[in-house]
Amino acid sequence: MTKVFTDGLSFAMPLLIMAIGAIYSEKSGVTNLAIEGFQGFGAFIGALIAILLMGRLGTSSQLVLYVAMAGAAVGGGLYACLHALLCIKFRANQVISGVVVNILAVALTTFFTSAANSAINGTSSNKFILGVSTRFTVPVISKIPWVGGLFTNMYPFEIIILVLALFFWYLMYKTKYGMMLRACGENPQAVDAAGGDVEKTRWIAVIISGALSGIGGICFAYSLLANFSPSIYLGYGYLAIAAMIFGNWGIGTTALVCMIFGLAKSGGYQLCIAMGLPSNYSDLFLMLPYVLTMLLLIFFSKKNHPPKAAGEAWDKGKR
Amino acid sequence: MKKIKLWLARHLSGKHAAVSVSILAIILTLITAGILLLIMGKNPLVAFLSFIQGCGLAPKANYGGGSGMLSDLTDFLNYLAPMTLASLAFIVGFKAGLFNIGIAGQMLISGFTATVLVGYSNLPALPAKILVVVIGIIVGGLVGALVGFLKYKFNIHEVVSTIMINYIISYLTGFFINNKFVDMLTRTSRICSPASRLTLTNIKIGGVNCKLPFGIVIAILMAFFVQFIFEKTTFGFELKGVGLNKRCARYIGVNVGRSIVASMAFSGILAGLAGVTYYLGYSNTIIPKTLVGMGYDSISVALLGNSSPIGSIFAAIIVAIFQQGANYMSSMIGVAKEIASLITGILLLYASCGGYMQMHARSTLQRETDLRAQAEKEASANSGMKEEEK
Repeated sequence: MTKVFTDGLSFAMPLLIMAIGAIYSEKSGVTNLAIEGFQGFGAFIGALIAILLMGRLGTSSQLVLYVAMAGAAVGGGLYACLHALLCIKFRANQVISGVVVNILAVALTTFFTSAANSAINGTSSNKFILGVSTRFTVPVISKIPWVGGLFTNMYPFEIIILVLALFFWYLMYKTKYGMMLRACGENPQAVDAAGGDVEKTRWIAVIISGALSGIGGICFAYSLLANFSPSIYLGYGYLAIAAMIFGNWGIGTTALVCMIFGLAKSGGYQLCIAMGLPSNYSDLFLMLPYVLTMLLLIFFSKKNHPPKAAGEAWDKGKR
Repeated sequence: MKKIKLWLARHLSGKHAAVSVSILAIILTLITAGILLLIMGKNPLVAFLSFIQGCGLAPKANYGGGSGMLSDLTDFLNYLAPMTLASLAFIVGFKAGLFNIGIAGQMLISGFTATVLVGYSNLPALPAKILVVVIGIIVGGLVGALVGFLKYKFNIHEVVSTIMINYIISYLTGFFINNKFVDMLTRTSRICSPASRLTLTNIKIGGVNCKLPFGIVIAILMAFFVQFIFEKTTFGFELKGVGLNKRCARYIGVNVGRSIVASMAFSGILAGLAGVTYYLGYSNTIIPKTLVGMGYDSISVALLGNSSPIGSIFAAIIVAIFQQGANYMSSMIGVAKEIASLITGILLLYASCGGYMQMHARSTLQRETDLRAQAEKEASANSGMKEEEK
């Protein structure tokens, strides 16, 4: 049972940071279906840096992980500029732009992973082997039955994500910039009238979105997959978007939803083991988060209040 | 330079704007891909030629026994059929303002159902082939209708729901294939019976082995059918109306909910047809837990063809050349064949900027006419003043 909580949390935290990224973009008025692409591209940059560093520092160094996380944030942020450019400057359809960004990310990272591998060590594999980050257990609290599982075998990145999530919650709800960002998504004309710069605010929001998604991506690469390969496009970016919709575009509620997703995934997997089913059946249990998402969306989508101006390019002359 | 810009602007906003934008997107893509190949130290012209040769559209230097240019060409048509159908599926949804991202999943479930129900039976050829097509239509249509219903009834964005359904289908069919229908040697599903396959293989034409894909006939017929629906019927008009302006469509008496479900069902039907032509035509087996890249490529095709059903045939040819010719290109110049997906992605990027290009062209032309008018005005004012001085 503790394992359910341990694994659930380590899945929920990267999902949460990606969902916060999605919230930033959408609250500023840019529909963002590109989370999947952002996280993949960010993870690619992070993994590339990690591979290059591992040659210097040795494979066991934990410093590599933190540098890779920073690299993933920068890479995701840079890649997000493409979405911002298409949506804000070129006024392309934001849903199409999101899909384009995703497809391009898969193609770019797949191609350049092979290219980088053949350049670095002469193999033609399409994987960067990263290994799994070390884990730690918080002493006293982890002894609590059941819930103690949350504090057992934690990844260091879970703490980093928690800090980041709190910071971005503060930025969104307690600062002037956050106020303006949310106004851009509801009524950009009012922001313009008040002397704010709608386009600049949205640019920053989309870049933040990319950076946070990149961090989410590299965390998946370092925990769940232990490598970077095209198999990182498992649809978790879309899962994060679903969490955001279900969480009604609020950071607190979305965090709760991510936790439910995480527990559903790990719970299903542990159930499969506990029932003694052969490993063939794991496919059915891997399906659970997606089925759960669909069911939750069916029950909760109707009552939602998405940002009013999301999906529309900002047109100064329009009223 | 200015003249070129004006010439370009005139074409991009003129009568054949849609075609010009697509051609410009293709040219820009070729330039970008060419630069990329140059950086990698390869000759882009040789690369592009080998893409075309790999599709049987130009003769290769030498052929193995029993194969020739015609066998490459029929292979290419075999691939083109599901590609065209998949892009038609995207177009039908897109015209009604819906993004069917789940084409790959709809293809997989219809292909899987048809393989299990017909592909493993010993039905004779004709009823088997008809049944396969019918199953594709029914299964694809049902999944599409479900997505439309979820959108209309529960307000679930179709992009999110189709992606979720994609993964559910992928794991579900993967589970059944791995447990029941797996071929122990290849780890894919057992191959379907030749009678049920929509492509006839090993046909001798002029001494070379060829394939005879029925799918391409279905694809071209469907392209004209979709064109007919949107141009000549009330149903198609209503779908387009819903896509352009939902509120307006409601005011003129269109049942918006029904239109959404209908267009998604229609889109699913076409995706289902693409699925059976892919899994029981182009291929004869299913790789478990793998969604074909064609689902996404079809979006590039649809955007490149400016979401016109007939235009999508030509756009499908362009994209299929890259995808199908990649293997031969890779063997010729030693670039990883994943570059085909990269080129398709770049193509999609440029095609999605089409609207901006047109807007930019219009404003350039407008500025030019303004400048000219101003110059004329000044000129006439100047001459008027000179006359006064006299």
